Amino acid sequence: MILVGELSLWIALLMCAWSVTLSFAGGVTRRPELVASGERGLYAGVGFVILASAGLWTALLTSDFSLRYVASFTSANLPTVYKISAFWGGQAGSLLFWCLVLGGYAALATWTNRGRNRELMPWVTGTNAAVLLFFVMATALASNPFERLDWVPADGRGLNPQLQNPAMAIHPPLLYLGYVATAIPFAFAIAALVTRRLDAEWLGAVRRWSLVSWVFLTLGIVMGMWWAYVELGWGGYWMWDPVENASLLPWLTGTAFLHSIMIQEKRGMLRKWNVTLVVGTFLLSILGTFITRSGIIQSVHSFAQSAIGAWFATFFVLALLATIALVSMRLRDLEAQAQLEAMISREAAFLYNNLVLVGIAFSVLWGTLFPILSEAVRGTKITVGESFFNAVNVPLGLLLLALTGVGPLIAWRKASVDNIRRQFVGPAAFGLLVGAALLVLGIRKLSPIVAWTLAGFVAGTIVQEFWKGVGARRRMYDESLPRAFARLVARNRRRYGGYIVHAGIVILFAAFAGMAFKKEYDLTLKAGESATVVDPYGTRWTFTSEGLSEFKALNRDVLTLALRPEVDGVRLPLITSEKRQHRDSRGAPTFQPSTEVGILSQQRQDVYVVLAGAIGEDAEVRINFNPLVVWVWNGGLLMAIGGLIVMWPAADRRRRQVGYVAELEPQAIGAGA
Amino acid sequence: MSSSPADVSRSVGAPRTADGAVSPRAIPRRALLRGLGIGGGALGLVTVARRALGAQETPAANFAPMEQGAYRPTLRDPKPDATPRLTDADRDALEHRIKCQCGCILDIYTCRTTDFTCQVSPAMHRDVMRLVAGGYEAEEILEAFVATYGEVALTAPKKEGFNWAGYLAPGIAMATGAVALTILLRKWAREARTAAAARPAGGLGAATLPGVSAEELSRLDRALREEG
Repeated sequence: MILVGELSLWIALLMCAWSVTLSFAGGVTRRPELVASGERGLYAGVGFVILASAGLWTALLTSDFSLRYVASFTSANLPTVYKISAFWGGQAGSLLFWCLVLGGYAALATWTNRGRNRELMPWVTGTNAAVLLFFVMATALASNPFERLDWVPADGRGLNPQLQNPAMAIHPPLLYLGYVATAIPFAFAIAALVTRRLDAEWLGAVRRWSLVSWVFLTLGIVMGMWWAYVELGWGGYWMWDPVENASLLPWLTGTAFLHSIMIQEKRGMLRKWNVTLVVGTFLLSILGTFITRSGIIQSVHSFAQSAIGAWFATFFVLALLATIALVSMRLRDLEAQAQLEAMISREAAFLYNNLVLVGIAFSVLWGTLFPILSEAVRGTKITVGESFFNAVNVPLGLLLLALTGVGPLIAWRKASVDNIRRQFVGPAAFGLLVGAALLVLGIRKLSPIVAWTLAGFVAGTIVQEFWKGVGARRRMYDESLPRAFARLVARNRRRYGGYIVHAGIVILFAAFAGMAFKKEYDLTLKAGESATVVDPYGTRWTFTSEGLSEFKALNRDVLTLALRPEVDGVRLPLITSEKRQHRDSRGAPTFQPSTEVGILSQQRQDVYVVLAGAIGEDAEVRINFNPLVVWVWNGGLLMAIGGLIVMWPAADRRRRQVGYVAELEPQAIGAGA
Repeated sequence: MSSSPADVSRSVGAPRTADGAVSPRAIPRRALLRGLGIGGGALGLVTVARRALGAQETPAANFAPMEQGAYRPTLRDPKPDATPRLTDADRDALEHRIKCQCGCILDIYTCRTTDFTCQVSPAMHRDVMRLVAGGYEAEEILEAFVATYGEVALTAPKKEGFNWAGYLAPGIAMATGAVALTILLRKWAREARTAAAARPAGGLGAATLPGVSAEELSRLDRALREEG
């Protein structure tokens, strides 16, 4: 099976080359047999990528240490679930995983469009096959997971302990599913540019794919934050690490696109901008991969510096030049069909929202690449860390939060003074009330006050929209409150799903602001000793050490500290933090010791305990009080749920898929008669 | 070439037999078999090419290894009659501004309280303690670390010289974008007003969209406004 997998990778490469050639040739000559052959070449290529992946998984699960990749990232005693996830634990495997996901998406896009968008499809298939060809080539020629060692080691090196976490089994695939999905809208954009079919048709085809990408990126980013929080032990969930930034970039531009696409759908405007955003989102995902893989920037995630960076740089430049050339040739076809009618309109609000999203993307990219620029210009190495990114991005984030509330309240085309007064008075008053309450409570930090005031305003807009919608349904159909709510969302998934996403954003920002009040303590405790500290809410906590203990687990030696927290004489559950030394099946240590944090999670805050180490009987421990962290996960989840609601096919669309159902409202029949 | 969209959707797609039925297998299967044949032959060639490109790089590590030897002493003679100017909280805040040089991306406070296996951050912490005890201010201590390790010792670049480009570029870009967008939107709105004034009374649609009645356009307009 492993040999079949290795051979399959090479055959997949040929099949992709075949598909690219035949699809583009079919598109140029309009010969259907070439187009169909190109599509089948893609299916075959994907089939061989699946076989190659099965081959690598077989090698991982059977611990075939003759493969360098298996020996480098697994050991015989590694739990099975991590042998499976080791597929994407290293560079070569993760590239093959990228091929697998891209192949699956490309095949699905071709299959679901077999009866529609036929003029676009040769170019869509060809572009998808070209991207897949690049990744298969990079995998086969530059970072091949099937490369064999000259000798077979008795055991492998094992998987990095920090990757031996359930989140790490899920986070990378989610992120890949998001990253890679940006390739499909890119392929449709290229097809639309080549064929000059730049009407709403191609947008319809890419909207759902963009949402797929957005939902998976959202889940992947939040899962990554959770992994960093529970596994890395530094006490936070976002550090502006280059790889974190790389995942944020396509999310930001993808979010901008999901807003601006509405303007093109409703008004026929922003055609150039939307093509730019689709192409830019894909290129940013490639650039992010280049940053991650090339090793040019120091990162907690860094893969070893290797030639793969040059591959990605070349691909990025070629794709960028090709799309710039195509867009330049089609500028006339991308002229708007309608005009903006007023400055105070939803179109204008969405454009400012786009500006802020793209502005944040620029500042993140700028901060990420600035160390390279500094070294090139001044020859001086610098570090651009959390404080830099926060200084630049917190104000922009707050502006974005404000626009999240403003956009949905303003009418399309032109908002009247009456419309603005009617829509804004309630939410603005609620926001100000929240701000005033914070001041009364004695909070004086500016950023959290502004964030929570704006969060109050946006929450007010969302509640107001649901209130009006549910109220209208209850009056019209005499429905109960839950039924009216459910039907309101179900009948207009895009609008109310979007509001649910906004609610997730509000929760997320409010939770981010909470971290401005975090407190940390550095303690040394012997068994039986206690220390009393104060949390951000002024509550006194007493932590008593129950002592250090050692034990052996499946593939590691563990030193664990148990702390008993007490608040106002009430004993809370034990918090344990561990120091782990992983070992291979022969007992030899693998990797450096790692830390497992202990977390007592509450609605108000997390108590986060890190066993830094032990000297004799003294345990060196850091205790963080991190306010509102649980709401980061809840907010992220709510955003993803909202995204799923938005992308879920409407009932009439699902009915249409099995047969045409005519739907005419009685008054429409009357009016038309 | 003039073909309607419907024609195009018929002409570019699955291959058809003479009677027009979809024939999905005729040429492609042969093509694929040919492809497989060629693939087998080419496999040898590609393998040779791969060998020619050289052996694969050293296996990628997931995380950079620690550079335990990265520590360089940062020492200064104590000031005359030195008394510490910083409280413990000030010192911890200062340590958040100094980057550990072990290869991680953490500051020395976070690194030393997270990972005891790092020998660099505790050593740098000891230097901080000595400098604090020697009566040095926070900025002086930062300067001392920059003198030892270079600017890479700081978690954020100093606000001076070329570094200002780093701090200001995002703000300048955003401000420029906001001004440009506002000018563009005003221009669009002005053009729309001019076009509306030049339009004959009685509605825009009937004159410009054949087959669409003024009533229908008015309904569409209402629906759009109501949705807002």
